[in-house]
Amino acid sequence: MQLQYFLLLAAALFCIGIFGLITSRNAVRVLMSIELLLNAVNLNLMAFSNFLDSTLIKGQVFTVFVITVAAAEAAVGLAIVLAIYRNRDTVDMEQFNLLKW
Amino acid sequence: MAQFLLETVWLVPCYALIGGLLAVPWSPGIIRKTGPRPAGYINLVMTFLAFLHSAIALQATWNHLPEEVFIPWLSTAGLDLTIALEISSVSVSALVVITGLNLLAQIYAVGYMEMDWGWGRFYSLLGLFEAGLCALVLCNSLFFSYVILEILTLGTYLLVGLWFSQPLVVSGARDAFLTKRVGDLFLLMGVLALWPLAGTWNYTELAQWATTANVNPTAIALVGLALIAGPMGKCAQFPLHLWLDEAMEGPVPSTILRNSVVVASGAWVLIKLQPVLSLSPIVSSAMVAIGVVTSVGASLIAIAQIDLKRCQSYSVSAYMGLVFIAVGVQQYETALLLVLTHAISAALLVMSTGGIIWNSITQDVTQLGGLWTRRPISAIAFIVGTLGLIAFPPLGSFWALVKLADGLWETQPWLVGVVITVNALTAVSLTREFALIFGGKATQMSQRSPEAHWPMVLPMVILLGFSLHLPLVLQSLSILPDWATLNKDVALLLIWSSISSCGITAVVYLGNIPKPIRLPWQGLQNFFAYDFYTPKLYKMTIIFGVAKISQLADMIDRFVVDGIVNFVGLFSLLGGEGLKYSTSGQTQFYALTVLLGVSILGMWVTWSFWEVQFLNLIS
Repeated sequence: MQLQYFLLLAAALFCIGIFGLITSRNAVRVLMSIELLLNAVNLNLMAFSNFLDSTLIKGQVFTVFVITVAAAEAAVGLAIVLAIYRNRDTVDMEQFNLLKW
Repeated sequence: MAQFLLETVWLVPCYALIGGLLAVPWSPGIIRKTGPRPAGYINLVMTFLAFLHSAIALQATWNHLPEEVFIPWLSTAGLDLTIALEISSVSVSALVVITGLNLLAQIYAVGYMEMDWGWGRFYSLLGLFEAGLCALVLCNSLFFSYVILEILTLGTYLLVGLWFSQPLVVSGARDAFLTKRVGDLFLLMGVLALWPLAGTWNYTELAQWATTANVNPTAIALVGLALIAGPMGKCAQFPLHLWLDEAMEGPVPSTILRNSVVVASGAWVLIKLQPVLSLSPIVSSAMVAIGVVTSVGASLIAIAQIDLKRCQSYSVSAYMGLVFIAVGVQQYETALLLVLTHAISAALLVMSTGGIIWNSITQDVTQLGGLWTRRPISAIAFIVGTLGLIAFPPLGSFWALVKLADGLWETQPWLVGVVITVNALTAVSLTREFALIFGGKATQMSQRSPEAHWPMVLPMVILLGFSLHLPLVLQSLSILPDWATLNKDVALLLIWSSISSCGITAVVYLGNIPKPIRLPWQGLQNFFAYDFYTPKLYKMTIIFGVAKISQLADMIDRFVVDGIVNFVGLFSLLGGEGLKYSTSGQTQFYALTVLLGVSILGMWVTWSFWEVQFLNLIS
């Protein structure tokens, strides 16, 4: 009965991340929320790999890949935030509603 | 020779039609160089041919049994439309009257239309009328009678509307078309409803069917009422009489035709339908009622008019009302005789006054006067026309009226009173016209008024002679009622009513009574002068109703029907306009919708796995 607790913790983390993703006004904080999401996923993967696939541990392989890709994504994301900041002098998400209807 | 001409008498309508067609090229737009006169001459020749043909054929047809000629027209499943022509002494003599009167009217028009460029149109329409009327009297089928009546209705529209640059002409032509059209459409209903009852539209077969017919009295009453509605419009009977008044806007020569023969086309159909109509006593009494109301009403109106042509048009309505009475009381031959004598007298009257109008310009009888010494021929023609129209022996209508009254004397004496009243009122109105035009002092308008030139006087004189000889002609053909068997009281009453009314009117109008004459009650005089305010009546009832319903239908079309369709478009438009705000431009909002979509989809897909637990939880 250990698996559920891990999964619940991961889900909670994921939901916190979602909440942060949707409500944050600061673009960097949005990126941080995305990191939370990815780490929640990593928690899931680790839990599954431990409890369901302890011999081949494919989940851990997945986790390594996710961490790597997350690092790359965070770098690109920050680059985008910087690029926007240079143009508009702000990182407020509410100011980035130019591409509407 | 005569026998051959009798067999080919169905060519008579064709002559007129060809004449009408040949007149068309002389319309001002086609032959530009010669002027329009050849159109008239060609028509005259063709009409003369038609007259000659029918006159010779008439000799051959005398004392012969009627023959029928069948021309196949259309035969489809269950319906055989064959044009049936009846060549009898009655129909051929009607041809002679029509072509003869048309010939005279066309000669008259050569004079009257001298200063007019529209001969091509005018004569081609006269040709069309002649052809239509000849075809109508030959035609022995109710269906084709209806067809011809409709063509003549269109012809009336075009002929009344000859001088279409005048606004009153346009409205008059419109009314003439629509009023007659309404009657014709009722006639069509009757014609169509008669088919399942009788199974034939041939007049002869209809008469045979009517002798033994056993039909629902309500059904035949309705059919009969529809059948008389057509002639009612054609003969300008109340309440479909206004068109004839307004049709007086047309040129005089066409008025000759209209007053004498065109209105009689309805009477002809009525007479032909008489066996069918007499199946229902309701229809007969309706005809009598219409006839009584029209003849008395119209002759009263005629007295109160000041327009020369309108005075006469109402007399025409009144005499057609007498024809209605005659048909209503099953006096077939009297009706025919009345139509004949009326046609000739009415034509003579119109020819006489048309000449007055031609060079005295005004049509207002109160502005005319003192023409007796200057226009003796017109005056004599007017007198003979008058005496030929009212009951004055030995001239034409006397015999018809006496015969009519004689037949009514035993059965419906009150109708004799009506006939005598109409006769007296017509005598008053015609004497009044005579006294105002020819009697009294010359007015400014009639001070210099020479007699019209020969093309107008010649037909008038020929017709004058014919109308004087009419009793002799009828006598020799033994058509006149036998004097010995006639009711002398009726005859004396009629003669007395004519003479006394003429005398009293002459005294009133030629004596020293101040003119214009006013009735003690001005309202009554206006009531008659404005022909019972019929235009207002039409405007307030039918026209008002139809206009309102049209407006309502138009509004429903514009707002409801169009609205529903446009609403679909508007709805899509507004949908697009409103829904575009879902693209808010906020990345986080997009993320929210993605997540919402994914979660709802996930819930929906996995619903079956946790449905039970969830329902337990909330209940």
